[in-house]
Amino acid sequence: MPTVTIDNLRVDVPNGTLVVEAAKKAGNVIPVFCYHPKLAPVGMCRMCLVEIGTPRRGKDGQIEKDASGNAVIAWMPKLQTACTTFVSEGMAVRTDSAAVADARRGVVEFLLTSHPLDCPVCDKGGECPLQNVTMEYGPGNSRFPVELKFQNEKRVPLGDLIMLDRERCIQCARCIRFQDEIAGDSVLGFNARGRGMEIVAFGDPPFNSKFSGNTIDICPVGALTSRDFRLSARVWEVNDAPSICAHCSVGCNIFIGERDHQIKRIVPRENEAVNEIWICDKGRFAHHFATAPDRLTTPMLRDEDGWRAVSWFDAFATITTRFNEIKSQFGANALGGIAGDRVPNEDLYLFQKFFREIISSPHLDHRVGWSAANAGADLIKQFGVGTETNLGVLDKNVAVLVIGADVEEEQPVLRLRLSASAQRGAHLIVANPRVTKLAAHAKQSIVYNIGSEAYFLIGMLFVIAGETLEKTESVTNWDAFKKSLESFTVEQCAEICRVKPEKIRDAARAFAHAPDALILFGREAMQTMQRDAAVESLIAALMLVTGHIGKKNNGVIAFYPHNNSTGALDMGILPDYAAGRVVARAKGFSAADLANAKTKALWVMGADPAAHGKFSKPNFLVVSELFMTETAKLADIVLPAQSFAERDGTFTNTERRVQLFRAAIKPRGDVKPDWWAIQEMAKRLQSFNVSELQSLTLKHWNYETCSQITDEIAARVPLYAGITYDKLAENVKQPRAPYGQGNPSDTPTEIAMGELEGTTSGIAWKSIAESDAGAKFELEWREPRQHASRSDSRQQIRLAVARSLYDRGTMMSKTSILQPRVPIPAIEINSLDAEELGIENAARVRVSFESRALEMIAHVDGHVPPGTVLIAQNLDGTANLPMGAPVKVEKI
Amino acid sequence: MTLPNIGALFKGMSVTLREMFSPPVTYQYPEVRRPVAPRFHGRHELKRHDNGLEKCIGCSLCAAACPSDAIYVEPAEQTDAERYSPGERYAARYEINLLRCIFCGFCEEACPTGAIILEHNYELSYYDRRSAIITREQLLVPPPAPDKDTPRAMRDPGNLYAAIPPVKGGVE
Repeated sequence: MPTVTIDNLRVDVPNGTLVVEAAKKAGNVIPVFCYHPKLAPVGMCRMCLVEIGTPRRGKDGQIEKDASGNAVIAWMPKLQTACTTFVSEGMAVRTDSAAVADARRGVVEFLLTSHPLDCPVCDKGGECPLQNVTMEYGPGNSRFPVELKFQNEKRVPLGDLIMLDRERCIQCARCIRFQDEIAGDSVLGFNARGRGMEIVAFGDPPFNSKFSGNTIDICPVGALTSRDFRLSARVWEVNDAPSICAHCSVGCNIFIGERDHQIKRIVPRENEAVNEIWICDKGRFAHHFATAPDRLTTPMLRDEDGWRAVSWFDAFATITTRFNEIKSQFGANALGGIAGDRVPNEDLYLFQKFFREIISSPHLDHRVGWSAANAGADLIKQFGVGTETNLGVLDKNVAVLVIGADVEEEQPVLRLRLSASAQRGAHLIVANPRVTKLAAHAKQSIVYNIGSEAYFLIGMLFVIAGETLEKTESVTNWDAFKKSLESFTVEQCAEICRVKPEKIRDAARAFAHAPDALILFGREAMQTMQRDAAVESLIAALMLVTGHIGKKNNGVIAFYPHNNSTGALDMGILPDYAAGRVVARAKGFSAADLANAKTKALWVMGADPAAHGKFSKPNFLVVSELFMTETAKLADIVLPAQSFAERDGTFTNTERRVQLFRAAIKPRGDVKPDWWAIQEMAKRLQSFNVSELQSLTLKHWNYETCSQITDEIAARVPLYAGITYDKLAENVKQPRAPYGQGNPSDTPTEIAMGELEGTTSGIAWKSIAESDAGAKFELEWREPRQHASRSDSRQQIRLAVARSLYDRGTMMSKTSILQPRVPIPAIEINSLDAEELGIENAARVRVSFESRALEMIAHVDGHVPPGTVLIAQNLDGTANLPMGAPVKVEKI
Repeated sequence: MTLPNIGALFKGMSVTLREMFSPPVTYQYPEVRRPVAPRFHGRHELKRHDNGLEKCIGCSLCAAACPSDAIYVEPAEQTDAERYSPGERYAARYEINLLRCIFCGFCEEACPTGAIILEHNYELSYYDRRSAIITREQLLVPPPAPDKDTPRAMRDPGNLYAAIPPVKGGVE
């Protein structure tokens, strides 16, 4: 560990640390513009110039010492950039000398000569590094005649989301480097040279990246601004409330910037364990649904003349009467509930408590729409990834198998983190029925035949068994399992998967040899899991026999679609599982049955079954929603709900991390949180079903705040033990993860920017493998589903259904600025199939399947294997596509 | 019986008689108003340029400087098609709560364009508190000519600097 002296302050830093980081660790902040802790250093802005010297060596190679025994420092004749210089033993740095002060003043003065006098009108004012550095280090007066200031274009749209101001740009290249190094979409670049050097966006549409909004955060001046937020408020007038993104299940930490109870902007909140400092564009811009003018603001009752607004009191009275009627006529078993997986944990907990303990009905489910394909709950409970896992710091000791997932469309920020890990040496294997964006960063990209996940996994297990790479400490029946494997060979599996056997062998060896390994599976794998029970047990087997369970950076992650999908599984919004993922006493109807009016009364909360297929209205339908959705239009009573921005609560992300979010704006109109509505109904139905459970729980229906429910969950649900409100709200100091940035040594550097304060990092619950180190598991063998052989499937083209991040869902549709980004419905078809059918790229085709026909554009490329076509669901006209159905494609 | 001191009486009355015929210093308010000092802090006004464009660019520096939080500014974006002020930003909502205002003049000092000026109007009374909140329309001075009102389309679109009339020999 070299020791560096910075202005007479000695500090020990790991090998490969940059001087600017070492100085920060010593408490000395060197001003920078182009340097950023997450990007490789370039030394472009020259703001970090300092005096650097190293110990002088004499002719004999020994370090010269002066009279008092200290090493003589040979100061470098010119100032050096601290951001590009790595520390060495005995190095000395001077930041307080006259030369350094002169250099800083000079650099600022040069930057300001070309920088416009825009501070009063610039969005960045108030959070501008250039302003701050000028105040600290810049000259007091300007010597530059203002008439001669550089003039350039001031409103250059880079795509629909970002506006560039060329005058303000200081050419630090942070945006270009972010796009190249971190986002992986090289859509920005420099054009021209000298003062006229300017940023240009490539591609059509320009700046086509799902992470373009992050460049606004890292731009040190106001050159890049958000077209949504720009010029709508000054940053010191905007209050930042800590929250969690409401979209996918990465659970990015955000700040909701509000002024006057309007959401002005969303910015990322730093959480090194979840999203570092990034959010995707959907999370950044798609917040307008929370403040949309067509939000429901009062309870609505439907009578003969249409809808009329009623008070909460009357609404509850009506619901109570009808529930009691239905119970006396049909029994308590005729009531059921669907709660969607966007609803916070507290509301979900009370929802199932209401149905199971007050109503005594087991009919609960959340799997509607995207969540209908959710699978792997048992897998997660047993082998979910270790609680200290940090996807951002995986290195060459980790193998990551991503199977059946398009990570950029499903969990965008995780795609960034996996790409970064792959760059850092993690062995990334991306296996998918088609080529996805992450495959470009992967060590191995495997494209298998759609639906053949099971055979791919069997192939891997066969290789592991054949080369005796297995570790059987946690396994009880390896020999029996091995026998079942022996009915296959790698070549057979490779044939079914349409993958070269060598690829399966390489993947299996890498996976087994790696000290740590993760399996991440997503939408396409889950759709196969719905029909093939073998996939889940094979993933479990693969983890068990390679010993990758129960510790950090090991385990399984499932990519669920919504921000609280894991929470819905944890809280037991399932017909057969209760809160805490314990098996329920009685088994109820599933969501599909509930949507078919198998119960006489139904309460739908935060879900829209009518928009996702056939829905038959039961005798009595109550809907708690934000908007008048398709399901709400059919309801008898609609109760308005609070969005995530108007209330407190917790969400559980895909790594099983429970995170707290806080209210940012006041509730619209008369909206109340769902947990309050459930509580009021519980109070009114206390004598609904006399049971021994009820007498125990009657006392527990007096919640005044959401935090009381959080604490009750911590007390009564063993899975969430210890996850109390206070613990979640605690400010934890998180050290920044070590990175190497162009670091020539082998040891990762500390990003010595200090520890983070004021962040709540969330608490994850332990999987079974992690909480019980000595647990033994039994390998389950299930016969994989028969897969159509090659000759059969060439005659039949099958449909694969993908997810697009930007779609026509309710939450996205209220944000007009993102609408141009929603893709046009298109079908991806392999060139071999296209040739047979006579379809060329960008031709209009008619796609027929089951009883429907859609018209769309064809994309002929190498992304899908022959025999498969791919359509993204939930775009214009592409709702409810049946996965795996045979289709007919013909040119129009 | 002593005579009253008629001399002192006349002496005192002479002051009265003398003053009776000299002009009074009373200003007959409200018909006549006493002129105020040039830098008197009265009610604010939002000034315009000579070409009619508003000087206020909606930067909220006045709101930030105000010690009593009396000013509320909502900026908005504008283009040459409908131009209010030079540049890309103008104050879509600008309100001053005269009951909070302490007439210190910090807003005038903070304003980078010289838009908000405290003028000489001190006759500010209201029947209800709502009327004390004066809006942008009440604050703006009238345009110098009817065809120079805002918003209007500028005839030289795209060149923001054309919107600021050139000033010879100095900085505006």
